[in-house]
Amino acid sequence: MKNPLRKFFDDTRPLFTGDGKYKKYEPVWDATKTFFFLPSAKTRVMPFVRDHLDLKRYMSIVILALLPVTFFGIYNTGYQAGIGAGESWSVTRCFLLGAWYVLPMIIVSYVVGFAWEFLFAVMRGHKISEGLLVTGLLFPLTLPPTIPLWQVALGISFGVVIGKEVFGGTGRNILNPALTGRAFLFFSYPVTMSGDVWVAGKHLVDGVTGATALSVTGAGGQSITAAIRDAGFPLGQLFTGFVPGSVGETSALCCLIGAAILMVTRIANYRIIIGGIAGLVITSIIVYLIPGGQDAWSNAGPFYHLCAGGFLFGITFMATDPVSAPGTNPGRWIFGAAIGFLTVIIRVGNPAFMEGVMLAILFMNVFAPLLDHLVLKYKSSKRIPNV
Amino acid sequence: MKTLKITRGFDLNVAEQPDLSCVHLALPSSLACCAGDIPHIRPKLLVKEGQRVKTGQALFTDKRDTTIQYVSPGTGQVEKVIYGPRRRLMEVVIATESEDGYIECNPVALDDITGMPGDELVAHLKKGGLWQGLRQFPALDFADPDHSPAMIIVAMDGNDLFSPHPAIILKDSIDAFDAGMAVLRRFSHRLVVVCRESSLAGIRELDCSVADQITHTAPDIYPAWHPGAVLYQIRQVATENSSWCIRLDHLVMMGRFLLSGRYPVEKIVTITRPGERLPHMRGRQGMPLSALAGEIPGNSMVTTGRFNGRLLEKDAHIGFFENTVNIIEAGAEEQMFGFARPGLDKPSVSATFLSSLFRGPAKMDCTLHGEARACINCSYCERICPNDLMPAFIMKALHGGELEEALALGLMDCCKCGLCSFACPSKIELTRILSDAMDAYYKDKQ
Repeated sequence: MKNPLRKFFDDTRPLFTGDGKYKKYEPVWDATKTFFFLPSAKTRVMPFVRDHLDLKRYMSIVILALLPVTFFGIYNTGYQAGIGAGESWSVTRCFLLGAWYVLPMIIVSYVVGFAWEFLFAVMRGHKISEGLLVTGLLFPLTLPPTIPLWQVALGISFGVVIGKEVFGGTGRNILNPALTGRAFLFFSYPVTMSGDVWVAGKHLVDGVTGATALSVTGAGGQSITAAIRDAGFPLGQLFTGFVPGSVGETSALCCLIGAAILMVTRIANYRIIIGGIAGLVITSIIVYLIPGGQDAWSNAGPFYHLCAGGFLFGITFMATDPVSAPGTNPGRWIFGAAIGFLTVIIRVGNPAFMEGVMLAILFMNVFAPLLDHLVLKYKSSKRIPNV
Repeated sequence: MKTLKITRGFDLNVAEQPDLSCVHLALPSSLACCAGDIPHIRPKLLVKEGQRVKTGQALFTDKRDTTIQYVSPGTGQVEKVIYGPRRRLMEVVIATESEDGYIECNPVALDDITGMPGDELVAHLKKGGLWQGLRQFPALDFADPDHSPAMIIVAMDGNDLFSPHPAIILKDSIDAFDAGMAVLRRFSHRLVVVCRESSLAGIRELDCSVADQITHTAPDIYPAWHPGAVLYQIRQVATENSSWCIRLDHLVMMGRFLLSGRYPVEKIVTITRPGERLPHMRGRQGMPLSALAGEIPGNSMVTTGRFNGRLLEKDAHIGFFENTVNIIEAGAEEQMFGFARPGLDKPSVSATFLSSLFRGPAKMDCTLHGEARACINCSYCERICPNDLMPAFIMKALHGGELEEALALGLMDCCKCGLCSFACPSKIELTRILSDAMDAYYKDKQ
């Protein structure tokens, strides 16, 4: 028997191709069809055999790596809401409540994002790229669960249109689209993106601030590590992720699982991740050794810098976006290390921006072509000329 | 003997390796001299349809150098002349007669090769239709006899994974091999003889001096044994960029022609067909595909090298530079949720399918497995390029019209192995783009 989906696409083909009535919307039809049925055109030029890896598979692996973070984020949103309400909730209840907050964000992000993709594809008459599969999931994971949905829609719109489509779409963008959207929201609507916005639920019981670990400072001579601990962010909890924060960023453990998946499948370049962690650790040790600032984040040491905030999420999923990262291996090492370095410097040197990783990645995105340029120049000079 | 250390390339396990036995094929009803597989040629036809030609008689020449001749592999009437797009000469087909009549040249004894004047030797080989077996880097055009190359690379193995085994080509042709090497020594002091590690044992079994003349072995990672990849590994100065290379079967043909005075018509061909291990075939130059491979399954593609060969039509004949025929099946039809399957049966050089955990023989088909997209800078092309190129950056430089930058990045070092296109997840035709740019640059410089 013929697959009914197959039949549907065969039946609708004349409407969308050739002289069909809806020829304009062919990219939409095509994207839907190729989502269900992997296209397999014959090769026409050498080589006649091709690898099985394509962009759909490529992006699917990133989605796979994001699943632990996403599920944990949903659970933790409910869990934190429970703490905020001063009650202890069952796992199911945490999940359901988390899903109640997080799923609409993801759906809005995908729907609005794909609407823009479709619009640009129809206007320009090109195929719809798979990049948004990742962007559409990454973006809501960087937001606090309390964010209004219209801001999610606005943010993803900015990310997709200004961050990507104006440059020509996936593969041609300079900045990471998801981070561009987040930066837009961060600077346009600081009220919903900072302060006590990290715990879902209307009213928090006394003693629960709903702030993140990064906003903690030691007061009255208390050391920063003790202050972070006292504020309810012991290192173990920061590592497992049962703390308030953006939906996807809280669990260092889940980010590391994602990083492992990406590095083992070689979808993400390990140089960026390892370089980034090394840069962060080394820089945080250096600022730790500089005397003074007992009560500030400069004295928090590498472990707290690594586990608090969104660094691991950013370096794993955002910095490794191959399009906006350098395309040369030495460039990737420098790129990663510089992100780690800048993250600590922003956290320590500029308390107005508690989260440094977003700006660090965007900043280095801008420098990625320059890094590539220098590496290419150097590599060319080492080659035996052949002209 | 040195070992080349090439680690980048294609090292998946592919089935269909030909058997080392060898069968003789009968004389087919038609033979042809192809022009379609000859790089850079601007052919000028020398015969008409209906004209009777002898074996070794010139059929067409190259307008750029009319002393280079492409000769008939058989005796009989010129049945038809086949043109391709834009009236490009593709094939001159001969309806064969059972008895060969040869164009006879003076035989040259082995010792006389060393004493013969250089230009006389070149003229002799050109007349015999064999000079063009010697190719000159970087564009792999026919060798310029006025140029003295820094080295000549003798490639014992062919362009495909399963090109004919050198031991089978060398069997009963040791004299011809020695004569061919004597010719090469006239043109360069440095002969680099390269052979695959897996071919070495077979050559040693021949019990002759050939194995001692091998200077380098290459690992069994495609395309480590390609002359282009070998040159990249061993060259030290820029003057070596215009070295020459020759493939073993052409070297043997050269030697045989000099020793006998007749055009050597024999050719060893391998056929790979899904699910079968076929023997080596001993046939003629210019054999028709139908006589070599028999029935071709309807949905298949026939090529003369899965990575860097040419596409063969069902009625095509095999060319002077080709000695492998790959029959490659088209894959299954569009697969539902193909991107989300575990992929045990999907060979890939990436690690994104479960197949990468196992080293079983990979089943290759001739479909793209995806759609063309913009480059996402993933570096899969760089990771697989045997000559340390960054094909994506070269492609971008070429698209930007920055030829100088593309050259600085090593465009002319490309050995056209086809692996960058093979690995690209965005299905960009990198090899085609680089290869076209190389050819255009070479043509411009001439």
